[in-house]
Amino acid sequence: MKTAKQLGLTLCPKCHKLNSLTADQQQCSRCNSLFYQRKRNSLQFTLAWSIAALIAFIPANLYPIMIIYQLGIPDGANILSGIGELVDYGLYPIAIIIFTASIIVPLFKIVGLFVLVYKVHTGIRLKPDKHSKFYHALELLGPWSMLDVFVVTLMVTVVELGYVTSVAAGPAINYFTLTVIFTMFAANSFDPRLLWDKKAADEALLTPNNLTDHLTNNLLEKRDRNDP
Amino acid sequence: MKNTINTDLLVACQQCDALYDKPHLKQGQLAKCHRCGYTLIERKVDSINRSFNWSLASLIFMLPAILLPLMGITLAGQFHQASLFDCILVMIDRGFFMVACLVFLFAIAVPIVRLSGALYISYCFKFNRLRPSLLNFFRAYHYLDHWAMLNVFMLAIVVSMYKLIDDAELSVNLGLLAFILWLICSTMSTSTLDQDYIWEKLEKAFPKKRLARENS
Repeated sequence: MKTAKQLGLTLCPKCHKLNSLTADQQQCSRCNSLFYQRKRNSLQFTLAWSIAALIAFIPANLYPIMIIYQLGIPDGANILSGIGELVDYGLYPIAIIIFTASIIVPLFKIVGLFVLVYKVHTGIRLKPDKHSKFYHALELLGPWSMLDVFVVTLMVTVVELGYVTSVAAGPAINYFTLTVIFTMFAANSFDPRLLWDKKAADEALLTPNNLTDHLTNNLLEKRDRNDP
Repeated sequence: MKNTINTDLLVACQQCDALYDKPHLKQGQLAKCHRCGYTLIERKVDSINRSFNWSLASLIFMLPAILLPLMGITLAGQFHQASLFDCILVMIDRGFFMVACLVFLFAIAVPIVRLSGALYISYCFKFNRLRPSLLNFFRAYHYLDHWAMLNVFMLAIVVSMYKLIDDAELSVNLGLLAFILWLICSTMSTSTLDQDYIWEKLEKAFPKKRLARENS
């Protein structure tokens, strides 16, 4: 199995066109976008965004996210106590959905990205096939943690009955939104191809690479025919 | 040495960078990467016509979905209803500018830009009006891939309805129907747009520019 990097080719991340590598910052020959062979400083950016998300996640859980006014009496609830109330009322499916979207998914994403960065950096017990699937799942889950923000927005807008009942958003909603945005940036700045690169580099250290596979032979033949 | 490799005959996986000979696919087939299982190339059936129709339909549903009230509640004789646009106005009113901004971006602006982009691109292909600006246009379309969250907003509507249904009398309005149709149409229009086909066509349509740059 040959990778594009080994043959001096790069893939445009926007239009998926293969370019032969000419410069550090490459311009795609098809769509004119500028890009690098691998996302630049991918691990640092991922780590930085994840830490930022983790920091924003703390006030998001401490402050109230939704304040319900019933007959003028405020009743604030943060994310966890809101879920607790839902469980008390017996709304289990909603409690599970909210819990998954607003607690499990962000934490899972942050921890998962930490693990991925650590594994790429050290190469310990790296299984690229499993880990790239894991990364793909993380990327898909990302937008779904915006769910809680949208729910609070809808509740605030719809439940507006003056003195009888009204709902206000708490300060936690800002921090929670920041958490979600930061985790999405973190997932976007990770480059799954680094997993395979690390694995290939480790294998090259262990075994001398004297076997060329079918594809490389083909390319070599074509090249010979082109250069008489 | 490297320049003699013909990059048109090869394709690399986006996820793991493995290199393959470019497969020749019929409409409706897709090629997957051996190593990581990610889709390499997909040929979609009748892509241009379908995405043109779906995105046109979704642009029709867009306005009612945003402006008509989604749902209303009745409690103690009082009635109140709200639309998607009201959500943003109320959040600005309460001082949550960032949340209002992001809800506007993810639930209104990004879907609209993507849909009008898809409509414009498929319109140009359908009536053979290719022009170089399409390259930039379609590239911009890719930047917004992850940021459309209509489906999340739909789930949020369902969740908040479920929350409210015990405490108050809930009424569903035309806006919700329009929103569901908008969601379906926009999902279909993104899933029917064949990116590889469009890029290949664009590349064939403007080959001179590319050669000039490679020589320079």
